Amino acid sequence: MRPENYEAIKQPPSNEFELNFGPNHPGIEGNYAFRVKLNGDEVLSARADAGYLHRGFEKLMEGRLWIQNIALVPRICVPDPVPMEVCYSLAIEELCGLEIPERAMWLRVMQLEMSRLAAHLFAFGGHAATTGMYTPMFWGVADRDLILDRFEELTGGRVYSIYNIPGGVRRDMPDGFLDRLGTLLDYLDSRLPDYDSLFFRNQVFIKRARDVGAMTQEQALKWGVTGPNLRATGLAFDVRRDDPYLVYDKIDFDIVTEPGGDALSRNLVRRAELKQSIRILRQIIKHLPSVKGAVRCPIPNPLAWNVPAGETYTRVESSKGELAYYVVSNGGDKPYRVHVRGPSSMHAVQVLEKLAVGSRLEDVAQIMFSLDACPPEVDR
Amino acid sequence: MNELDKIPVRQELSVAEGNVKRSNPLANVFDELVRFCQSRSMFMLHYCTGCGAIELPPAMTSRFDMERLGIQPMVTPRQADILLITGYVSVKTLKRIILTYEQMPSPKYVIGICSCTVNGGMYWQSYATAKVLKEYLPVDIYIAGCMPRPEAVISGLRDLMGDIKSGRADNWKRYFQNYDHYLGNQQKLFGEDWQTPTDIIAEAEHYGLMTDQTLGEHTALLQKHQQPLEALEFSLGEKREKIQGENPREKNNE
Ligand code: SF4
Repeated sequence: MRPENYEAIKQPPSNEFELNFGPNHPGIEGNYAFRVKLNGDEVLSARADAGYLHRGFEKLMEGRLWIQNIALVPRICVPDPVPMEVCYSLAIEELCGLEIPERAMWLRVMQLEMSRLAAHLFAFGGHAATTGMYTPMFWGVADRDLILDRFEELTGGRVYSIYNIPGGVRRDMPDGFLDRLGTLLDYLDSRLPDYDSLFFRNQVFIKRARDVGAMTQEQALKWGVTGPNLRATGLAFDVRRDDPYLVYDKIDFDIVTEPGGDALSRNLVRRAELKQSIRILRQIIKHLPSVKGAVRCPIPNPLAWNVPAGETYTRVESSKGELAYYVVSNGGDKPYRVHVRGPSSMHAVQVLEKLAVGSRLEDVAQIMFSLDACPPEVDR
Repeated sequence: MNELDKIPVRQELSVAEGNVKRSNPLANVFDELVRFCQSRSMFMLHYCTGCGAIELPPAMTSRFDMERLGIQPMVTPRQADILLITGYVSVKTLKRIILTYEQMPSPKYVIGICSCTVNGGMYWQSYATAKVLKEYLPVDIYIAGCMPRPEAVISGLRDLMGDIKSGRADNWKRYFQNYDHYLGNQQKLFGEDWQTPTDIIAEAEHYGLMTDQTLGEHTALLQKHQQPLEALEFSLGEKREKIQGENPREKNNE
C-alpha cells in the first residue's frame, strides 16, 4: 500500500558507476585492486587500492641480522628476485668497503640477465593473456621454466635463489653449466621469431595495444618512470650503462628505445631486451672461463657482523626499472634503516592511475601488464 | 590454541561421519560415483595472496599441466570448488579471503600453499600478516615449502582428490559446525563488529549442520553489531520539485 500522495521519483539518468577491479580478478596482476569510475566502458577516474601484500619489509629488516635479510629481500619482487639480492649485497659491500672477486661479479651479472629474461618472458605472456591470446602466455611460461631449471642447477632454488651474499656468491657453478646455458640460449634465440609471428607482429595485438596507455617523455620523467617503460618513450636511460655496476662496463650491449610510449612500444622494448640479454649472456659464457679465482671474499662471522656506521644508496637496473636500496647502519649487527626504492610503486600507483583515465575498461588490465608492475613490490 | 584442540582433527571426523554406510547398497554406489565425479572435475579459484602464486602459472600451463587432472582455474568464487591460498595472508587480504570463502557453494575445499599459511613462515614477526590460516578457515590440505614446487602443488591436489573420493575431505562442514570458534578468531583480528554479508547460521541450518558449537558468544556479537538496513527513501510531492529543480540535465531537456 502506498500513501496516496506518493509519486515515484524520476531519477536523473545516471550512467556513471563505480566498479571494484580486483583484488581477486583474473585480469589483474597479483593481489592488487583498483576502483574505477566508469561511464559506459570509459574510465573516468581510477584509484589504486594497494596494501593487500603489505608485510612491513622495511620494519622486518631492522629486526634481523644483516645476513638474515638476504633471505628476506628476494621476496620483495617475486617475478624478478635476483636484482633485489644483488642490490642489497652491493649496499653492504659498499658500507664495509669489501672488494668482491671478479668471478663473483661475472656470476652475478649472469644471474641478473637470466632473471631479466625470465621476467620479460613472464611479462609479455601476461600481457598476451589480457588481450585474449593465451598461447603466448603458455609459451612464455614454459620457456621461463627452462631458465628456472638453470637457476635450480646453479643455486638450488627455482625462484628464490638466495645465491648472492655480501662478499660474492655462495658457491661456484657446477661443471658444464655454461654449456647447458648456451644450449638454452640457442633454443630461446630460435624461439624469438616464433614469438614475433605469434605475438609481437600479430595484428590483433598491435591493434589492441597501439596508443593504449600512452605517455610522453616529459610525463614519464615527471612521474618517476624508469626501466623499459621509460625507454619506450624514447629516452635511452639504463642504469647498466649510465651508472655501471659490477662488470657491465666490460660488456657490449645496446639500449633499445621505442618512440611511442604506449603499451605496444613497451612490449617491443621488452622484446628487444630479450635479444640483448641473450647477447650479454653469450659474452659472459665466452668470458667467464678465463676469469679464475675465488667467488667470495672473506667476510667476518656473519652472525656477529657489525657493519661500519654509514649510509649508502645503491641502484641496479631490474627488469621493471631502476631499483635502489638506501641502507643506513649505526655500526650494529642489524640495519638501522633500509628503504627500498622499487620501480613498481611508481608504475602501479601514480602512473597507472593517470594512464587509465580515458581508456576503456578492458584496457586497464592491459595497461597494468604493459607497465609490468609488480604488486608485492608496491606494498612491500 | 586450547580452543583449537577442542575441534576434532580430520581423521577423527572421518571415522565419525565420513564414510557413513547407507543401508541401501545402491545408495552407497551412487554416493561413490558422485564423489568420484566431484574429485575429477574441480574448479579452482586461486587468490594470489602471496609469492607462492608465481609457481601456479607453470603448474597450470603446458609443462606441468594440471588440467589433465581435471583441475581448471575459475574466475568467480560462486562457481569454484577449491580456494587456493597462495602464500602469506595479510590482514587486509584475509578479510577478502573470508568473504570469498563464504560465497563459495559447498562442498568447498581450502588449500594452503606455502609455509606462510602454516605458521607465518618468514613473516612470523610481521605486524601486518595473519599467521595461522587454519584459525580463520578450515584448511583441507597444506602444501608446505617456501615456495612449493609445481610438482608439490600437483601432488597436494592429488591428495585432495583422493580425500574427496574416499569421502574424507569434509572440512567445509567444520566451518558450519564450529562457526563460533572461527568467528571468534576473526573478531579477535578484525574487531568485534566484524560482519560478512553471508548468513552462515542460516546456511548451517539448511545443511543440517547446526551443533552446539555453531552458536555462541561470538555469534551473539554478530547480532549486536548488525546494522539495520537503511530504509529506502521515498519522497513526497514537494521534495520531488526540489530534486527536479536541482537537476541541470532535466532543465536543459525542457
Ligand atoms: S612461504 Fe615463502 S614463498 Fe610462500 S608466501 Fe611465504 S615467503 Fe613467499
